[in-house]
Amino acid sequence: MARKKNPGSKLSRREFLALVGTGTSVMAGAGFLTAKFSRRPVEQLIPYVVPPEDYIPGVAAYYNTVCNLCPAGCGITVRIREGRAKKIEGNPAHPVSQGGTCALGQSGLQVLYNPDRLQTPVTRRGERGTGDFHTVGWNSALTTVASHLDKLRLANRGAGVGLLTGDIRGHLDDLLIQFLGLMGSGRYLQYAFTNPTNLYSANAASFDTAQLPYYDIANSDFLLSFGADFLGMWVSPVSYSRAYGDFRQGRREGEDKGPRRQRGQLVQIEPRMSLTGANADIWVPAVPGTEGALALGIAHIIAGGAGRFAAALAEFDPPRVAEISGVEASTIERLARSFGDAKAPLAIGGGGAAAGTNGVPNLVAINLLNHLAGNIGREGGVVFNPKPAFGRTGMQRHGSYLDLLAFVEEIADVDDGVLIIAGTNPLYDFPGDERLVRALQRIPLVVGLSSFMDETMQYADIVLPVNSYLEGWGDDAPEPGVGMRVASISQPVVAPLYDTMDVGDVFIRLAQRMDRDMQRAMPWPDFHAYLRNAWRRMYDKRRDKLDYVDFDAFWTAVLEAGVWGETRRASQRNEFHAQVDYEPPVHAGNDVDYPWYFQPFVSQGFFDGRGANLPWQQELPDPMTSIVYGSWIELNPRTANELGVDEGDILEVSSPAGSLRAPVWITQGIRPDTVAMPIGQGHTSFGRYATGRGANPLSILSAQVDSRTGAFAWGATRVNLTPTGERIRFVKTGGWSRTLDRQILGPRSGETQEGGDHG
Amino acid sequence: MSVSVREALGAFKPAAIAVGIALAAYIAGWVAYEVFFPGTAPVQPIEFSHVIHAGDYQIDCQYCHIYAARSTTAGVPAVEKCMGCHKVIATDKPEIQKLTDYWNSRQAIPWIKVHDLADFVYFPHKRHVQAEVACQTCHGEVQTMARIERVAPLSMKWCVGCHEEREVENGRDCWTCHK
Repeated sequence: MARKKNPGSKLSRREFLALVGTGTSVMAGAGFLTAKFSRRPVEQLIPYVVPPEDYIPGVAAYYNTVCNLCPAGCGITVRIREGRAKKIEGNPAHPVSQGGTCALGQSGLQVLYNPDRLQTPVTRRGERGTGDFHTVGWNSALTTVASHLDKLRLANRGAGVGLLTGDIRGHLDDLLIQFLGLMGSGRYLQYAFTNPTNLYSANAASFDTAQLPYYDIANSDFLLSFGADFLGMWVSPVSYSRAYGDFRQGRREGEDKGPRRQRGQLVQIEPRMSLTGANADIWVPAVPGTEGALALGIAHIIAGGAGRFAAALAEFDPPRVAEISGVEASTIERLARSFGDAKAPLAIGGGGAAAGTNGVPNLVAINLLNHLAGNIGREGGVVFNPKPAFGRTGMQRHGSYLDLLAFVEEIADVDDGVLIIAGTNPLYDFPGDERLVRALQRIPLVVGLSSFMDETMQYADIVLPVNSYLEGWGDDAPEPGVGMRVASISQPVVAPLYDTMDVGDVFIRLAQRMDRDMQRAMPWPDFHAYLRNAWRRMYDKRRDKLDYVDFDAFWTAVLEAGVWGETRRASQRNEFHAQVDYEPPVHAGNDVDYPWYFQPFVSQGFFDGRGANLPWQQELPDPMTSIVYGSWIELNPRTANELGVDEGDILEVSSPAGSLRAPVWITQGIRPDTVAMPIGQGHTSFGRYATGRGANPLSILSAQVDSRTGAFAWGATRVNLTPTGERIRFVKTGGWSRTLDRQILGPRSGETQEGGDHG
Repeated sequence: MSVSVREALGAFKPAAIAVGIALAAYIAGWVAYEVFFPGTAPVQPIEFSHVIHAGDYQIDCQYCHIYAARSTTAGVPAVEKCMGCHKVIATDKPEIQKLTDYWNSRQAIPWIKVHDLADFVYFPHKRHVQAEVACQTCHGEVQTMARIERVAPLSMKWCVGCHEEREVENGRDCWTCHK
């Protein structure tokens, strides 16, 4: 077959060679360039100009310090490479954490490296609350504040200066008291949403000891928990989680051989199933706020009509308690029998049980159970701590919600009042009333000390950026302790990333810019020197008992270990001083317009909201729902049927104080007359990861308070639910929560379990 | 009707030749780059000579590469280390004056990396120094190099070959180097 010749394709010899030549060189060039660009890029070896003295590149160093993301005071160990913090784990030597951390503690690195950290001092330019700030230098910011304070002090009007902080313990607390004392002011208040004000008060009333005791869960064999989500975020979750492990399968202290002792039994009483409730053997959903009646009902059966409390308990027979609490009389009898028969029964109360208008009476009733069981000061019971080595207890430092309102309003009423706010964000976790904002607006000078521009800092005139806890000095006596005297030093594990300083340093620098008396009274070059001095005094007091050559050796040893303790224990007699009675809870909103109890709960990821700006916490699936990133409202299937809504349908949740929108999550772990929402999302100003995500359930709470302490009763509001017709798809890791008879957990035993799966 | 395969293919013969030439040219270009620009001895910001330091003066490797026995990384000497001697020694040499400039402006010298392992390889200098592997085993006769040159391929085959030869414990285990 002859090729058909196309006259146009005929090449001359010259053209052909040119074509081949061009093609070849283009291809060779392509090969050359491909080789060039496929090679790994040239890297540089950048040496130090001056080598570091305290580390070897490539070798990790570990520093012990204290986590301050919640008030538990866990000891942590931070892995450092080339001067940068890489990983946080628990300090195995620390008696509170014993090598463990919670998820929030792990995320501490993201506090340090958070891109939204305040890096320089700023002053307000626009209206308060608008977030319009501009950058200033430290010198000018400190001088502005110091000259203002100095003027007031020299005019004998320093009493108008107030200091509001979060949880500040240890010697920093002493320094702040001293500073304010020199100003002639006693206005110093700590406020934290999660501070167990009612528990302090109940313990003071019951046992004459205003302390958070150490609940010896590990050595108990029957644990009756009224709303205390101790595996979640209640008081000291890492310590309790470890104790819970021992409670379930461990051996007693000192026992390292022999059979494991019988596992303890856990009963959780709460209207909405928490992580602890999910771990319980029996979950008892009582009506919110009636936990006290239930405790008295159990006490009634245990006491059996005899003893000092017979009269007070007489009317709490099972049928009446069943009527109040919505728990069947037979269940109450069964719980009482188990509690009475157990060798080491233990009752603890917290969470929702303490967050009603009747928090204190509820907790006193729960304390009575411990008294009747002879638990006080006993192994497996309620162990009170000796007086801390330094510092005040939370009861002495903390104010309730009403205290805080009064505190801020008083400063607003003073001419030339100054409010300094450090480490607390009351504008986020206050109920949706405007009193606090209005009072803040009236104060002429509000100074904030913070790492982040949160809701409260929006109302400050000057915000001074402080070190994150991984960059600064401090010390801590954890509360609750572990039954003995424990203290730890918090040391900088990395150099400050930005132009920030310790809270203590801010006050020392302020004093140095004020008149001569102030300078003389606060002579330390920095907070580190102050802290060392304070520990030197502690050392001098115990010099004979301690086995160190000198103070420097002691100091170094404490810094290395991250903790120091004394084995002295407190003695406490099993005496009960309180009158017991049941006080019915008062809920805001009538049950016709607002048919559902509204129970916000402290979420595992965000605690009281402070974890919401940490991406890891946002990504962390909630342990009960597996939802990430958003907010939700938990409904019983019956409630959902009633409203005709399904998972993801958005509801309008309205209370007498306000309303919000949240998508529905359906769970059997909640009473049909109760709905629940996690606390922590819905920030209006807290950096890029938190702002504008989800809804804040606290913003629709009525300003209900505990009748005795004035603590914020955040479990005492009722709501109405209205479907909006909109819906979302949850971002979650879990699928379907029921087994649908697939026997995933193996064959069933003959008996049908309570609340079992009949899906 | 029959079709001759050869004849049918014959129509593509010129195209096949063209492709062949193009491919050959492409490979030749690639090889030329590798041969003429091997990148094993890049020009450094300062003409530092190991011949003078390690060869003539016999300064121990670890006098400058101070972390080799203690860390994964051997450590390039800090500028301060260089200046420790060169504040007084050979200060008239232009290369030393370059060094002094870096030091005076507190700048690090941006050396070009010659021995570069992929990020997925865990190579601790510490273990090799402690096992008394001579530096020259991997880095070549450094004391004769006026400009540092990579002589070893630093390939996995090469690494494992040595591990086998020396009967290194777990020397063939993936996780020994790929952690």
